[in-house]
Amino acid sequence: MAKEYKTLMTEIRLPYELSYGPVWTRFFEGMAEKKLYGTKCEKCGRILVPARSFCPRCFVDTTEWVEVAQQGTLTAWSYVNYRYFGMPTEPPFIGALIRLDGTDVDFLHLMGGIDLNDFEQVRKVVKNGMKVRAVWKEERQGHILDIRYFEPI
Amino acid sequence: MTKRVGIVSVAQGAGAESKDNFYDQAYRITKEVLEKVGITRDDLGTIVTASSDIFHGGISCANSYYWETTGAFLKNASRQDGESLFAFFYAVMRILSGQFDTALVMALCKGSENPPNDTCTLMFADPFYQRPVGLQETLAAALQMRLYLERYGITEEQCAEVAVKNLGNALGNPYAHRKGRYTVEEILGSERLADPLTALQVAPKSEGMVAVLLASEEKARALTDKPVWFKGYGSSLDHFYLGDRDLLKGPLRDAAARAYRMAGIADPQKEIDLAEITEPYAFQELLWCEDLGLCGEGEGGKLIASGRTRRNGDLPVNPSGGVLANNPYVSRGLQRLVEAVLQIRGEAGERQVPKEVKTALAHGTHGFAGQCHAVAIVGIG
Amino acid sequence: MGRPVAIIGVGQTKHGRRTEISYPDLVREAVVRVFEDTRLTPADIDGVVSGTMPSMMEGIALTHFYFADAMQAAGKPILKTETCGSTGISIAHTAYYWIASGMADLILAVGHEKMNEGNSQATMTTVVEPFYQRYFIAGAPGVFSMQSQMWAARYGIPEEKIRDAAAYISVAHHDDAFDNPYAHVKLRVTMDDVKNSRLITYPVRLLDVCPNSDGACAVIFASAEMARKLGRKAAWVKGVGYRGEEYFFGDSDKGVWQSAVQAAKQAYDQAGIRDPRKELDVAEVYNPFTFQEMLFYECFGFCGLGEAPDLVLKGVFARNGELPCDPSGGTLCTNPIGATGLIRTAEAALQVTGRAGDHQIPGAKLALCHAMGGVDQFNGVMILGAEP
Repeated sequence: MAKEYKTLMTEIRLPYELSYGPVWTRFFEGMAEKKLYGTKCEKCGRILVPARSFCPRCFVDTTEWVEVAQQGTLTAWSYVNYRYFGMPTEPPFIGALIRLDGTDVDFLHLMGGIDLNDFEQVRKVVKNGMKVRAVWKEERQGHILDIRYFEPI
Repeated sequence: MTKRVGIVSVAQGAGAESKDNFYDQAYRITKEVLEKVGITRDDLGTIVTASSDIFHGGISCANSYYWETTGAFLKNASRQDGESLFAFFYAVMRILSGQFDTALVMALCKGSENPPNDTCTLMFADPFYQRPVGLQETLAAALQMRLYLERYGITEEQCAEVAVKNLGNALGNPYAHRKGRYTVEEILGSERLADPLTALQVAPKSEGMVAVLLASEEKARALTDKPVWFKGYGSSLDHFYLGDRDLLKGPLRDAAARAYRMAGIADPQKEIDLAEITEPYAFQELLWCEDLGLCGEGEGGKLIASGRTRRNGDLPVNPSGGVLANNPYVSRGLQRLVEAVLQIRGEAGERQVPKEVKTALAHGTHGFAGQCHAVAIVGIG
Repeated sequence: MGRPVAIIGVGQTKHGRRTEISYPDLVREAVVRVFEDTRLTPADIDGVVSGTMPSMMEGIALTHFYFADAMQAAGKPILKTETCGSTGISIAHTAYYWIASGMADLILAVGHEKMNEGNSQATMTTVVEPFYQRYFIAGAPGVFSMQSQMWAARYGIPEEKIRDAAAYISVAHHDDAFDNPYAHVKLRVTMDDVKNSRLITYPVRLLDVCPNSDGACAVIFASAEMARKLGRKAAWVKGVGYRGEEYFFGDSDKGVWQSAVQAAKQAYDQAGIRDPRKELDVAEVYNPFTFQEMLFYECFGFCGLGEAPDLVLKGVFARNGELPCDPSGGTLCTNPIGATGLIRTAEAALQVTGRAGDHQIPGAKLALCHAMGGVDQFNGVMILGAEP
């Protein structure tokens, strides 16, 4: 039988401190007030949410702030049913792309407000194209999870 | 080389901590480098960036994050890890292949968001032998400095003179992070971090968004009246384990020889008008000058004592203040190149050297005691 | 296109769970094999390009330092190319440009990964930006499953048919891997096994997903003059293409994935390919997820939009089909990420030089290889041919 060789168990933790900058700071201040903001590209006219300082395609500064709708249409979803070290969100959960009404890109968040324990039930309820709306936390701190999830309307 | 590649535009951000986010800082420098020659993202052929995950705010696959900030949406682009002069060379290759007539080279590092440099460079060490001992770049450099002092009789004062010169030069550089008029005594009297290295002989941790726009010869002439031409490049890598290497005869000699051969330089002391050298530790400027053939072996101490490498000397080295003044880890090699280009174009402002600069050398290094080096030669004519 | 460039030799490790060997020794295993394959020595090499996944996955930063000796790179010019999941194909592109530019005649390209030493999904989560999106994307399966779901729901094809087609791909590739001596997962599975395997991230189930592999790949690229001088049977680079998209997941349509469409188009244009399904003899598509593989068929023009599931079930892309895809078993059975794109390149080179052994596609003369990465952002393609 082949000899078993040793392995070294080790863990690495590193601290980082990331700057929000002015545009993202403003977006998260909006979240603390239960508002969602996008920025509009003057050149292509697209409304980008979360707010961006520039349009990735036109490569010009976005100048106009727009408060966007808190409801929209589900464009893609995945029911997540596995776990791994360092996972920031407890499974099972539904990762979802949502096209907020009046915007031009998809907003990534969670689908909730339904029983997540039975996947076959989930599959019967959750469909691309369905209307959903944001459900806010009572206590907010200017964080992306100030929205608990989006629920079916 | 039958075809030529021109540097047509450069831009850099300030080294001091900014509360602006990474994404927006990068976008602004890209805009600036393009606008200086009046082109837009649409005109851009290809992009090669440099960044390292360990120096990247805890976000992995560095170029995923900043892809669109460099104008790369639906463009053919790539990335180099570790050394930004790698990215410069790769962009040169892409133009020489004939497939692109412009290439943006961009180095991205936001030091203020990262852990201390020593914490990051500890991660270069293997997890079995060297990391548990605590080997990182500062310790490796201290060991190298001890050897350097002892083998050639270089003095600690001569090493400190490098810091005096470079931090003083930085007073004329609006992008420099750390600057000031110091005495040798103050440099040597600063905190002993890893003896014989003192705090003012060790580079800081800086922001560094640095951009260089390259173009084929024809395109370069169309975009600017003052193209600076790519002349030569060389790089080399040493063995890994510190104890396997001669720390005073490193791979910079090979890298320099390759760059000089490509550039047709026979006597660097005569033909190089100015050098921008990566010296994260003060003494390394002297050692690297020896390896680059800018003085003889063991003569680094004499070189700094002669005053020739001052801003107004006949062989200015680091008139920008070098890496002791500004140390965005991954970006520093490309920043040296930007400074060399500014000097050739006579656009270096207060730090402009009084002599004519036709041919300049930019050097980058990373790894323990210079495990890897890259050398670029640029010039006019 | 610059001057002609050829691949003259390849070396792969046995991929799998390689806890019996250290990471540097794993890299060395592939490098030794490429030198054996080419009968060259490290002294012949003009430069080395390497790459891998990010430091969090490696537990080591700037791995070219650590592997300098394993790659026989001491004293050599070096480049270090990394583009997340597409690293392997980007390494191949760097080696190509190095020679096409006239700056070198022989370049060693090395990609490597020891997935079992780190935590791939924890790392993948840190690719996603921390302000807005990190909480919602569950590693690579999370993002690529959402893309698969978006694509699968688009054309009104019954979910059961798409599910069957994905299962068909899984069964075929698991069978193919038995003919590839270097493949990691060797497992006979049935359609029912796939469809009843554990749900990971809907619609993706366990047998729709690649493994975590340890492995390395080394490839030597040469100029035409050098390839002829050495008298080696060569695979010639006919086209290279690469495209990337925005970081924010949600900014671009991932159902018709433009970075994939345009990367392939750039490579086809250079290679003069107009009808890829007819002209290509074999494709090594980067397929860590079965559903996504069908999306690639469509984006690469192997078939029309929404046609992939039907054609898969007809066997068009099977080993004996019209355009065999991933006869090596592909990424689905072997995924040491930093090496994977270069393994696709190596497999394509083996195919067009008739050296693929038990999984050789008879008479293959023109092949596509590919890798993708980022937060559903990057696609790179290379076309290799038997003739210059």
